[in-house]
Amino acid sequence: MRRIDENSDFRRRLGVLSVAVAGVFVALALRLVYLQALRSGDYVRRAEDNFLEERRVPALRGGIVDSRGRTLASNRPSYDVYVTPRFLADDTLDRLLRLLRLSADEADAVRERVRSRQGAAAHRPLRILRDIDRDQLARVETERPPLPGVRVEVGTHRFYPDGTTVAHAVGYMNEASPRELEDLRGEGYAPGDLIGRAGVERVFEPHLRGVPGKQPVIVDARGAAAAPAAIRALELGHRLDAMGSAEPKSGHTVALTLDIDLQKAAERALRAQASGAVVVIEAQTGRVLAMVSKPSFDPNAMTGRITHEQLLRIEKDPYRPLIDKTLRENYFPGSIYKVIPAIAALEDRLIEPTDRILCQGYHELGRRIFRCPHPHGLVDMEQAIVQSCNVYFYRLAERVGMDRMAEVARDFGLGAPAGLGIPGEAAGFVPTKAWYASSWKEGFRLGFTLQAAIGQGNVKVTALQMALVYAAIGNGGRLLVPQIVRHIETAQGRVVQDFPPLLRRRVSVSDETLRFLTRALTGVVESRKGTAFEARHTPSGGLRQPHEPLEIAGKTGTAQVRGRQAGRPDRDHAWFVAFAPTTEAAIAVAVLVEHGGQGSKVAAPIALEVTRAYFRDQIVPHATSGFAEELPDATREDDDAQEGARSSPAVVGP
Amino acid sequence: MKSAASAARFDWPLAVAVVAITALGMLNLHSATHASRPQLYLQQVTWIGVGVLAFLAAAALDYRLLLRFAYPLYLAGIAALVAVLAFGRTVNGSRRWIELGGLSIQPSEFMKLLVTLAIARYLQQTPAPEGRAIAHVAIPTAIAAVPVALILRQPDLGTALLLFLVFSTLMLLAGLRLRSIVTLAVLAIVAAPLTWVYLLKDYQRTRILTFLSPGSDPVGAGWHARQALVAVGSGGLWGKGWLRGTQTQLHFLPEQWTDFPFAVWAEEWGLAGTLVLIALYLFLIARALVLASQARDRFGGVICAGVAALIFWHAAINIGMVAGVLPVVGVTLPLFSYGGSSVVTVLAGAGLLMSVSLRRHAL
Repeated sequence: MRRIDENSDFRRRLGVLSVAVAGVFVALALRLVYLQALRSGDYVRRAEDNFLEERRVPALRGGIVDSRGRTLASNRPSYDVYVTPRFLADDTLDRLLRLLRLSADEADAVRERVRSRQGAAAHRPLRILRDIDRDQLARVETERPPLPGVRVEVGTHRFYPDGTTVAHAVGYMNEASPRELEDLRGEGYAPGDLIGRAGVERVFEPHLRGVPGKQPVIVDARGAAAAPAAIRALELGHRLDAMGSAEPKSGHTVALTLDIDLQKAAERALRAQASGAVVVIEAQTGRVLAMVSKPSFDPNAMTGRITHEQLLRIEKDPYRPLIDKTLRENYFPGSIYKVIPAIAALEDRLIEPTDRILCQGYHELGRRIFRCPHPHGLVDMEQAIVQSCNVYFYRLAERVGMDRMAEVARDFGLGAPAGLGIPGEAAGFVPTKAWYASSWKEGFRLGFTLQAAIGQGNVKVTALQMALVYAAIGNGGRLLVPQIVRHIETAQGRVVQDFPPLLRRRVSVSDETLRFLTRALTGVVESRKGTAFEARHTPSGGLRQPHEPLEIAGKTGTAQVRGRQAGRPDRDHAWFVAFAPTTEAAIAVAVLVEHGGQGSKVAAPIALEVTRAYFRDQIVPHATSGFAEELPDATREDDDAQEGARSSPAVVGP
Repeated sequence: MKSAASAARFDWPLAVAVVAITALGMLNLHSATHASRPQLYLQQVTWIGVGVLAFLAAAALDYRLLLRFAYPLYLAGIAALVAVLAFGRTVNGSRRWIELGGLSIQPSEFMKLLVTLAIARYLQQTPAPEGRAIAHVAIPTAIAAVPVALILRQPDLGTALLLFLVFSTLMLLAGLRLRSIVTLAVLAIVAAPLTWVYLLKDYQRTRILTFLSPGSDPVGAGWHARQALVAVGSGGLWGKGWLRGTQTQLHFLPEQWTDFPFAVWAEEWGLAGTLVLIALYLFLIARALVLASQARDRFGGVICAGVAALIFWHAAINIGMVAGVLPVVGVTLPLFSYGGSSVVTVLAGAGLLMSVSLRRHAL
């Protein structure tokens, strides 16, 4: 083998190596030229995407106040827990969840949400829990070693000082769903935002919410805003200025027609009952003064951090706490409905008020027997109302007929949502011959008419509708649009939108008929044979003195409940609907006690107590002048078809 | 040795290159750490002091004395690596450091020089004028393989890879027969899948896979690499200015003082800065290769080539990974990255270069 000069060989290889090294460095230099000279524009933008962030500055949500400006919903500071998934150490989340003492289900839900944050989203703080209590706060803040990637920030949280008392009317809030965020795109909602979910909170969401502001910030990799000194040092001030900022605009205050004192009085009047509803409206304006539905729920719990278990318990409650029984639930009216056939008969002169009918305790129709609570003997119409005789109305119904009765009922607004504007209002139901012909196998039979006359069969109403019917009787025949919002004002108190009383229509009833009905309904409470006499003249009726002056006209009702419902007693629903005083009525009151038994014994005392509270507390009536114009006919025709779906404030708006 | 003569022989180009890179490195480290970890900067200043002492000692010492100590020093290094596995401090799931009187020392860094010395010693004693057959390669291979295996156990993929590359470079320089090269290549191909399965940890596999398909994990393992690219590219021609790099100062650049100081430099000094820095490294490496060819003996020549290889592979891999052409493996940038053992190793290596340089003409 040829002998090689080893040293020159070594040098030769070093030469090759030098060329290789130079080649590699030239290649790297070319790569840097590509990155820093040719592509640098792209990377400058990507660097800016990293550190420039337009932060939303949340607007303060407007308050909800009662008719005298007392707070029903406001904001209070809250401590919210944020985590930035990217910066969590392996055990951080477990430690945090232990400190917060969440249930296993809640903890799993949080873990899942944190896990689902992938990609760039893992660098953004995620709010895992809002409004922690002081103990939770103390444990998280004093934890050593500190929790990396975990921050507690002060935000605001909705607060309802009266809790359960006005829960249904005021409503509550919870997190906007992904679907809603999609629908409301462009309105400035962000994931995790709370949105009005029920009641006024929901309907007036656009007014309450305000307009969020925006504030450009320089953030570091952890999403924390850089200090002004750091921004100066980096010479980035001009980038911020170029983006511009906007102050948030606070939401408007919604002033309700409700009176919190009367609301509390109505709630108190229901104290002995498990389930029921009280509606008090101004008889001259249709404004709602009190609206109580029992059982209620705590809107503070519903807003933000209710657990799945708690929610399940509420939803499984046989008395359905979330359903507003004043307007979302249909009921048989029972005897409070008798004013409808009475009006039909009197207006059509099918009977003279003085004509008497013999009640033997039952009425035969073919082979069927229709019953009365007891034999009333010979009764005229006034006594039939005072003593609530069914037989009289069976006989009356035979003359009036199903469809004429339905016509009067619809004239009084029954069978269509009353139009308060709160979502989910029930329409009730007014049956007609045609309906029976199409919906029942054996078609229409006269027996249905007899049942309808005493508010059974297939007639359905809401408590709010019945308050409006009795208000119309007491105010001279004006059917009103119920309203719960008085006006909307700015945070500084300037009224931006006013909601004057609205007349739905003048019902087709003569003054003579109304005068007769008022007399008969007064007899219900004032005459010895009246079904509510006892309630009116005993201390338990809410009156300290049995004979204390109180002008009131009303009607008891005991509505049969069809079929036994699980978890509920097997008793009839008790009704009492009234207006007071008997001339120039100021208020109308509807009381419903679910499974309460007899209206005379259970519902009437409650209505009397609430009425008494109204006059005792001298609640000042709202101005009755300045009625808005009657709704155009077209709107009226739409009642049946669309009112159930209405949820916008336009319903109560001018 | 007369002082006038030694001043004349003093290798100014080498010294200027080392001082220049060290100075720029300190400037850059200050920018990378001043906001969040100022104490790192002070520690590094201390370590550079130690490194300068090591440089002076190595330069003053006649490197030929090391012929006698090359193997004992190598064995001491192996013992230190075993000690690391036994008593080392674990950081981020990897056991690389031993605590010595309050200082954290990373023996695997020093091992790069010690392996170079041991191989140089072997090649000096075993000339192979006809090219090296596989039998002559076995011992140097063993010299490198033992520390590589120990370092992979820590695990420290970057350092093990570096050691392997320095070893390979030296073997190629030493001259291999074609058959030996083929044999080694076959061995490497067989060893690679075994290494993948048995020696690499999950995170190391993830890094490599992420590099091979960057879209698969945009924020996990790929996040570092992407943010480094943004830093480099957004630096533009002239950079954002010292202490004004947004990626650096707002901490979008991860591990900016260990793995990514080049990204910091590129962001704040732009293409102008990166080209100057690359030129400085190239100059330093070229100087080391010239010294390798001019050394008075094979031992000195291999030492210089080893130090040149060490600086080259570190710089090329680190810059390559920052520039997005190589996967992110933990390989430091010489004299730029924070890390005491690394800076002392590089300065001691530069001292060896100086020692060889000072003695090359004394034939």
